[in-house]
Amino acid sequence: MALLQKNKPPGGNRHSFVRTPIPVSENLICVVLLVIIAAIGVAIFLKGRHFDPDRFNVKVSSLNSTSSSVVGKSQTIAATTEIESDSTKDSTKSQTTPPRPMPTESPAASTETGGATDGEGGVEGVGARSTPMVKGEPLEIVLEGMKPMSPTEFYNADNLYEKIDGRSPAYQNFHVQALRCRTFAVTSLPGSFVDVYEYTFDSAVDAFGMFSLERDPKGKPTDFIADGYYGDMGWFFRRGLVYVQIIASDQNLQTITLAEALARNRARELPENDHGLEGRLMLPTKGLIPQSVSFIPDNAQGQAELRDVFVAAYSFDGERIPFFIMAAKPDEASRAWKLFHDFCMRFGKVEDLPDVKGSKIFSAQLFGKSKVVYVRGGELGGVFDVSDVNKGQAFIEHYLRGENK
Amino acid sequence: MINLNQLLTLRNTRRVAQVFFFLLFFFFAFVTDLRYLKGYPVSLFLELDPLVAFATAITRHTIYMGLMWSLLLILPTLLFGRIFCNWICPYGILHHFTGWLIGKGRAQERERIEANRYKKLYGLKYVILIAMIAAAVGGTLQIGWLDPICLFHRTMTTAILPAINLFFPSSVYVQQYFHTGAWAIGFMLFILVGMNVLIPRFFCRVLCPLGAFLGTLSTFSLWRIDRDVTKCVDCDLCLKNCEGASDPQAQLRKSECFVCFNCIEDCPEDALAFKFLPRLQNEISKPAVPARRFFLGSLIGMAFFAFGRASGASGRNYDKKVIRPPGSLEEKEFLGACIKCDQCIRACPTNVLQPAGMESGIEGIWTPILNMKSGFCEVNCTMCSQVCPTGAIQRITIEEKTGTGLFAEEGPIRLGTAFYDHGRCLPWAMETPCVVCEEVCPVSPKAIYSHEVTITKRDGNTITLRRPFVDPALCIGCGICEHECPVTDEAAIRVSAIGETRSRDRRLLMDGGVTSSVRDLEKRDR
Amino acid sequence: MPKEIPKNMAPISQDGITRREFVTRVGATAALMAGSVIAARSLWQPNHFVPGFEKQRGLQLPSYALALDKLLPSMAIAHGEAHEGTIRAAIGALGGMGRFIKRGDVVMIKPNVAFDRPPALAATTHPDALRAVAKLVFEAGASKIIVADNPINSPAGCFLKSGLTAVASEMNLELMYPALKHFSPLQLDGEILKNWTFFHEPFKNANKVIGLSPCKDHNLCHASMTTKNWYGLLGGRRNQFHQHIHSIVSDFPLMMKPTLVILDGINVLMSNGPTGGRLSDVKRMSTIVAGTDMVAVDSYGYTHLLERNLDELTYLHKATERNLGNCNWKDSFYKEVQA
Repeated sequence: MALLQKNKPPGGNRHSFVRTPIPVSENLICVVLLVIIAAIGVAIFLKGRHFDPDRFNVKVSSLNSTSSSVVGKSQTIAATTEIESDSTKDSTKSQTTPPRPMPTESPAASTETGGATDGEGGVEGVGARSTPMVKGEPLEIVLEGMKPMSPTEFYNADNLYEKIDGRSPAYQNFHVQALRCRTFAVTSLPGSFVDVYEYTFDSAVDAFGMFSLERDPKGKPTDFIADGYYGDMGWFFRRGLVYVQIIASDQNLQTITLAEALARNRARELPENDHGLEGRLMLPTKGLIPQSVSFIPDNAQGQAELRDVFVAAYSFDGERIPFFIMAAKPDEASRAWKLFHDFCMRFGKVEDLPDVKGSKIFSAQLFGKSKVVYVRGGELGGVFDVSDVNKGQAFIEHYLRGENK
Repeated sequence: MINLNQLLTLRNTRRVAQVFFFLLFFFFAFVTDLRYLKGYPVSLFLELDPLVAFATAITRHTIYMGLMWSLLLILPTLLFGRIFCNWICPYGILHHFTGWLIGKGRAQERERIEANRYKKLYGLKYVILIAMIAAAVGGTLQIGWLDPICLFHRTMTTAILPAINLFFPSSVYVQQYFHTGAWAIGFMLFILVGMNVLIPRFFCRVLCPLGAFLGTLSTFSLWRIDRDVTKCVDCDLCLKNCEGASDPQAQLRKSECFVCFNCIEDCPEDALAFKFLPRLQNEISKPAVPARRFFLGSLIGMAFFAFGRASGASGRNYDKKVIRPPGSLEEKEFLGACIKCDQCIRACPTNVLQPAGMESGIEGIWTPILNMKSGFCEVNCTMCSQVCPTGAIQRITIEEKTGTGLFAEEGPIRLGTAFYDHGRCLPWAMETPCVVCEEVCPVSPKAIYSHEVTITKRDGNTITLRRPFVDPALCIGCGICEHECPVTDEAAIRVSAIGETRSRDRRLLMDGGVTSSVRDLEKRDR
Repeated sequence: MPKEIPKNMAPISQDGITRREFVTRVGATAALMAGSVIAARSLWQPNHFVPGFEKQRGLQLPSYALALDKLLPSMAIAHGEAHEGTIRAAIGALGGMGRFIKRGDVVMIKPNVAFDRPPALAATTHPDALRAVAKLVFEAGASKIIVADNPINSPAGCFLKSGLTAVASEMNLELMYPALKHFSPLQLDGEILKNWTFFHEPFKNANKVIGLSPCKDHNLCHASMTTKNWYGLLGGRRNQFHQHIHSIVSDFPLMMKPTLVILDGINVLMSNGPTGGRLSDVKRMSTIVAGTDMVAVDSYGYTHLLERNLDELTYLHKATERNLGNCNWKDSFYKEVQA
């Protein structure tokens, strides 16, 4: 129908149609929208000014040349804090030194990955986190009736826990430096073995300290070394800076014989060194209860000034008397004596005793026990933890008069 | 006399908005540079993009940081419809402008009217959207191919800005930037924009998945174009400038309407209005996609995911060249988070980031990988991680990247490990001293060390030179060594993806720390 | 000009829409808006993380303990000279191994093999004790016994020299040495132990766990008995825990809920523990203690076998405070027998 025909406009472009009137509400909406757009612009501008310069600012200095003195690997790893010991193989290489010259063979000696350390080859990346290798001389002992059961193991103070776990802090207190140990099988008895442990300390005094801490009071003294004892299954002694433990796996005759032979071997082979043990030599021998000598590095009897103290127990007049002695410079000794004296005055009863041969003495009773303490020259000593103060005093007087040598 | 009443129309306001957002987009693209970035939210358009937020929520099960901004677009869309497409979208604005310039903008009236009628072809974008969502459900994010903001950012970064810099040196970069595959990306844009000659707003109507997404949402819009059939004379003039091809002259297709307000302006009978809750009888509210297309689309999407993953490029058969930016997620997750917007590539100060080809499989096309020939990863820089909108590169701090300060215990982020090629290295193979690599290695202690060697040369003289090695426990894979190596065709030290910390199975060494039971176990082989 | 309305167009009734339609449409849109806000908010990740450096979510061990049986004692003390006879007596006093082990069970026995000491020095689980327990477990019908521990140094050497390798091959026990892939991160809400690598492999197939430990002096935490025994399952640089030894040992009853623990007090390491080394450190106490509460068993061991003051043993008191056991062993239903 004609009415349904689309009412088409004439062809061609017409001028744009302009709509009128435009409702005021639309004008207002437009204004609002324009304001919103402007606000967005301002917000972005302001956001641009607030930023954390550290977040993504390149530190210009890092763009400088990163060349610094180019040294070999051992120097470049000096900054690592994690010390680990990779004591893998028996090797006679010594501790890390500045880089050794590489052998003049072809580069084929190194691996394709180029990460080889010290020519050991292979992708030793795993675990080779640039650590100084703890190495040493392997424990080679040749004796009849035994053969090595395992390679020599090496540990330093930081990884000692891997071998002795919770016992290691005790050793670290005495500044243990290294452990070298190896197991030897008894050839005639399958399943029997002897362990040889050598703990090296930083001084003979510390080695002695650890040795005496673990001392078995019922141990029998060894005849081949002064600081030593043995029990039913082991030999224990200090030689030089080393505390040696020889432990047998069982009490069969062959095993024990071998263990003793190993003990004698080590006592002979290890170097002697008694430096710093002078205080011990001052201990009187008369009445000394065997295996009672021990060493306290510091804070003996809770006193800060009492360090490097040797302690031994004596049998005197039917009583067990603990005795201590400290070797120091005269002014240090007299200062320590004075401080000890004042401490005892604060917490207990003190009685000043008459001098004996130039030595000043006091006795004190505190916390239920008595002590008698003397000082002469650079030597400070006394008895402590005695129940009968008179016996303690008598012991000291005997000692000072030289009657207890 | 300026007639404010005539001037303050919604159509004019829309034009102001178009200019504003288009310029804003260009501003962001230019200012994403180390020198100018400051605090500008350069990834704002991507963060506003609701499809990005929606699709990453499917693949990653999170909405990453700034993607919450997309609510600012979703809520108005649910109220008004596809305002984004004609008011805010810079790509849409580009097409709108191009269409006016070289398309049917100046054609005969009749021609323009016919060009703006709805075609069945315009249902294709919904199928594309469904395919992309289905792929996302599988776990791979492929919206970046056709999402307009991603596409436009990517083209700006890889093709347009470098092209501008080629013609006007130093206007954009300090040194000219190059990007692999820029030609393909650039021509893709040209072709799509050029299609406006044939069909106005071709991309927006036919291909745009974001438009499809917003179109689906606008089914529920409360404000819609309403035609008063009593006033309408069927002149079809409303179609003359209709951007969305939404058939306002017949049954309005709300899901296609761009809310451009052109039809309202053009109607001589005042029959069209933008009304609150108009009656829906004269409308086609939902997108016109038959169910079988829906099914086909999801099948294609799932197949893309399945075939892509089955090609194995993100598993054991990974390419050593796939070195991802620092802070990147583990590879499979990365492919589920990267929208290929290449913002990271734009922000990178050394031009080391490049759009990938097939290195990471078909899923990884145009995702960023490091190419050490082009640049290197500056150690104290986290620009890429700051601009990434989806968290494919997490927004790490410099302390976390370098393993300093609070993160000293964890160690640095490693991108890979460097390996020597002894056949190319000058001191190893050519009797020539060098060790540039050792000099430029930026970590302390250096990951490259050397041993001194004295060799006899071919001419009989001896020479002492240093031969370099890599310590894989210290190497962070930054690539400065590869970049500075004088053997520039194929460097004698090359970084490879193994040893990257982002991936548990591509680690070369254990990381130490809590899980160093391995270290202890290694010692048992005594 | 007005026109005829085509037939396919609906008649215009009035301008607006029905109230019902209004409500449904506005409601649907509002619901979508609210829904998208809520969904976005709940999924929001406002903080970044560093990929590759996330703390792994660790596993948690199930409890291997049985329900408390009020009719049977939960702790037994047996005195005797031989390992087998005394262990039999102790288990018998608890109601027999059949109370704990059912036919077909896979049982994991955790000995203390921390060091490579010979058995006579009482620093490790005695082979006779392992043999006796394994016999009882097999008699109760178990299908398999797994024996495992993680001494840091040379597990093969430790198991061999302590005599347990021989028992394992004699009794056909599965000896499991730790390897890289056997460790998994453990997650615990402990005092010190939160997330640590753990020797998980032996537990994967086991449904019962028995702890078999010697009774030893320990220079750091005073004593190593059934509670400290579980320390051996930790990997990594576990020496870090030495500084917090009491806290971490009190975490063990939280980490591990075994079916049964047995404290071997036939020979007790009285001094120089945990390594010992002298026969003189060992004292023959001729006692076996077995029970379901490791804290109670240890409290008996410390007071009656190591003969010390229980006040010193901080970790037992910590564990009691945390309700992980009772260090007053007399409170439990116990039975004392002679083998």
